[in-house]
Amino acid sequence: MNRTLLIAIREFKAVVFTKGFVLGILLTPVMVLVGVLAVKLIPEAPEMKVKVALIDQSGVTSDFARKRFGSEGAQAEAQRAAAEMTRQIDQATGQMGLNGPAVDAAKSQMQSTAAMVTGGAKSIALEVLDPSSNVDELKNQVKNAQVGLGAPQLMAVVVVPKEAVSGPLVEGKWPEHQVFIHPKLDFQIASIINRRMGDAIVDARITSDPRFSGAQLSPEAVRATFARPDPTPQALGREGDKPSMGAVQMIVPFAMMILLMLSVMTGGQYLMTALVEEKSNRVMEVLLSAVSPMQLMTGKIIGMMCVALLILTIYGGAGIAGLIVANLVDLIETSKLIWLAIFFFCAFFTIASMMAAVGAAVNDIREAQTFLTPVMLTVMLPWLMVMPISRAPNSTFATVLSFVPVMNPFVSVIRLGGSEPVPTWQLAVSAVIGVLTAFVTAWIAAKIFRIGVLMYGKPPNFTTLIRWVRMA
Amino acid sequence: MTDAAIRIEGVRKTFGPKVAVDELSLIVPRGSLCGFIGPNGAGKTTTIRMIMSIIFPDSGSIRVLGKGSALESKDRIGYLPEERGLYKKMKVGAFLAYVAQLKGINASEASKRAASWLQRVELGGVINKRCEELSKGMQQKVQFIAAVIHEPELIILDEVFSGLDPMNRRLMRDLIDEQHRAGRTVIFSTHAMFEAEQLCDQIFMIHQGRKMLDGPLTDVLDQFDTRSLVVETQSDEGVQQLREVEGVAEVITGKDRGADKRAVQVLLREGENAQRALARIASTVAVKRIEVRRVTLEEVFLEVVRRSGGGEVDERLLAGFAVSSGEGGES
Repeated sequence: MNRTLLIAIREFKAVVFTKGFVLGILLTPVMVLVGVLAVKLIPEAPEMKVKVALIDQSGVTSDFARKRFGSEGAQAEAQRAAAEMTRQIDQATGQMGLNGPAVDAAKSQMQSTAAMVTGGAKSIALEVLDPSSNVDELKNQVKNAQVGLGAPQLMAVVVVPKEAVSGPLVEGKWPEHQVFIHPKLDFQIASIINRRMGDAIVDARITSDPRFSGAQLSPEAVRATFARPDPTPQALGREGDKPSMGAVQMIVPFAMMILLMLSVMTGGQYLMTALVEEKSNRVMEVLLSAVSPMQLMTGKIIGMMCVALLILTIYGGAGIAGLIVANLVDLIETSKLIWLAIFFFCAFFTIASMMAAVGAAVNDIREAQTFLTPVMLTVMLPWLMVMPISRAPNSTFATVLSFVPVMNPFVSVIRLGGSEPVPTWQLAVSAVIGVLTAFVTAWIAAKIFRIGVLMYGKPPNFTTLIRWVRMA
Repeated sequence: MTDAAIRIEGVRKTFGPKVAVDELSLIVPRGSLCGFIGPNGAGKTTTIRMIMSIIFPDSGSIRVLGKGSALESKDRIGYLPEERGLYKKMKVGAFLAYVAQLKGINASEASKRAASWLQRVELGGVINKRCEELSKGMQQKVQFIAAVIHEPELIILDEVFSGLDPMNRRLMRDLIDEQHRAGRTVIFSTHAMFEAEQLCDQIFMIHQGRKMLDGPLTDVLDQFDTRSLVVETQSDEGVQQLREVEGVAEVITGKDRGADKRAVQVLLREGENAQRALARIASTVAVKRIEVRRVTLEEVFLEVVRRSGGGEVDERLLAGFAVSSGEGGES
């Protein structure tokens, strides 16, 4: 068998067939999935039975409050919340007529969650008290209430002053009502109490205001009038108008960039760690008696490239599968995947060569940090510019950056996922620059590798590396 | 030309301002067992690495097994480097099979040879253990197997005896001897003069990058005449009588007399013939034993280092040294 290939296979097996890799790379997505499912499977906590005392000094709020806290009000509130959730999901997926099972499942899940959060707390009992009730005594009752599942306990006191409904306004604002709650009251129940009382007070204000009552406008009609319209923008295209995908279209450049960085950097890190380890194990010279430094380095890079490709395939495949399930596969084009593959190879060989040179030159991982900083900065720079590049992929800035060696594969991948199509010739030029960069980096790395791999003791600096390149 | 396993001509190698190897020329005959000696930092490992084409000389040429470089005949060379190690997490059998495959042996044959070799060095039970679980001595044996598993024509062993206990030194000696008897050329660098003297038929020494000694071991030792005798007298008076014998310069007693504590060392005057002095002593003093003291390789080593001014050598160790054939014995 070809020796370079033999080295590559050993390197691949040495990384992939380890518990660390399986746990770190393969199980991470599985764990996330299990985590999501586990949340669904956790049994709901038994509801707390809560009593709320209302002291209505306005005299008109209590009726609306009773409605809001009654079963009909809670149901209507749940329906409204569910409808709002559905609208937001539709907008997020672009209302593209895409009715995949994942979208349906998401809607159903969100609706039931909304219903649970809003209408689920049926056991909140409202008790309207005399306006002259002693507030301090009630507050003491709330403070001393036993939190438990027995008979409903007084957990909140709401005091609505007359001014909260009829005014006058103070500095343009309505005077507020007061809400006193037990410190251990569930935050969702507290939120429901607050919201329902707020709605009841607004209902009371609308009904009490002669401008509305004179015009025979109900609180619902007034609220509908004030609801802010929020239509989905229609993107104009050759195949007809389509709802704009909004933020969803950012998924692809982000995902492609993350995939590229994750696979390249993980593979590169494995390569460098393996080299440092082999150097400290003193196994390097044994290998060099059988193969040339170039064969050794190439074998290692190919082995780790397969590791990186495996990572890319696992995460990329999972991502594409997710898009297929969500019926969003239109976001991905085959040509883009091909370009992604091309830029992956350019980026990987460049970064891996750098990592190989660093791994061969240093004695331990600590020493490697000095050399890794510029490598990391070069890779991180495009990452920091994802937003401006993907929003204007054909800007002069993005175009020029996609021709700058080392970072060009990363920038080109972001441009590919951006909002405008990138001219093919620019991608081709970037790919050629990427290939040339990979070759030059590998050539320099091989020179450093040949000398560094047998050097022990004083850690080298950049000047030493340059000298090695000249020497080899 | 074909009788040389290694032919080095005018090789020079520098690392920055330091000259590691300077105009080195030597020939290692095929089928020989060569000891490559020299003090620390003499350039032995650099020379070996150049022979292996791991690094390249600045000038000069190296031919290995009739080829222009070791790269062209890597599969015919077995190499145990000074900086040797194992893949800690790899199993012993798998490691040996991997190294054998890198040397061109097919996978199934490589596994068979690994198992067979481990049995031979009494390590059959560790084939499925991880390398990190082995003791240092066991690891040395595994590393030696890795160097010879592909049955090379030329075996190069750098500091092969370092770190070994007496038991393992003997085992390693036997293994090297076995390879030599199988017709292979073996060259090993060492600081273990005793092993070198016992094993080698050829010796060459470098110091400060320059060749100091080269040739068959017996010839090299013959170049150095100790000009001293070892005498065991029958009584203490005999020691006093020795001092009065013609041609005797000094009689060394006490702790400086050498390893043989029953005898004294008799140093002869310059130009004195050892055989004639031996006869005179035998005829005038009652002795139990008398012999011409044979120079050891260690003494030759120390003498060469001392003369080249490259090291601190106890003069007492070199007592009675004289060289019969010129400076350093360079050939």
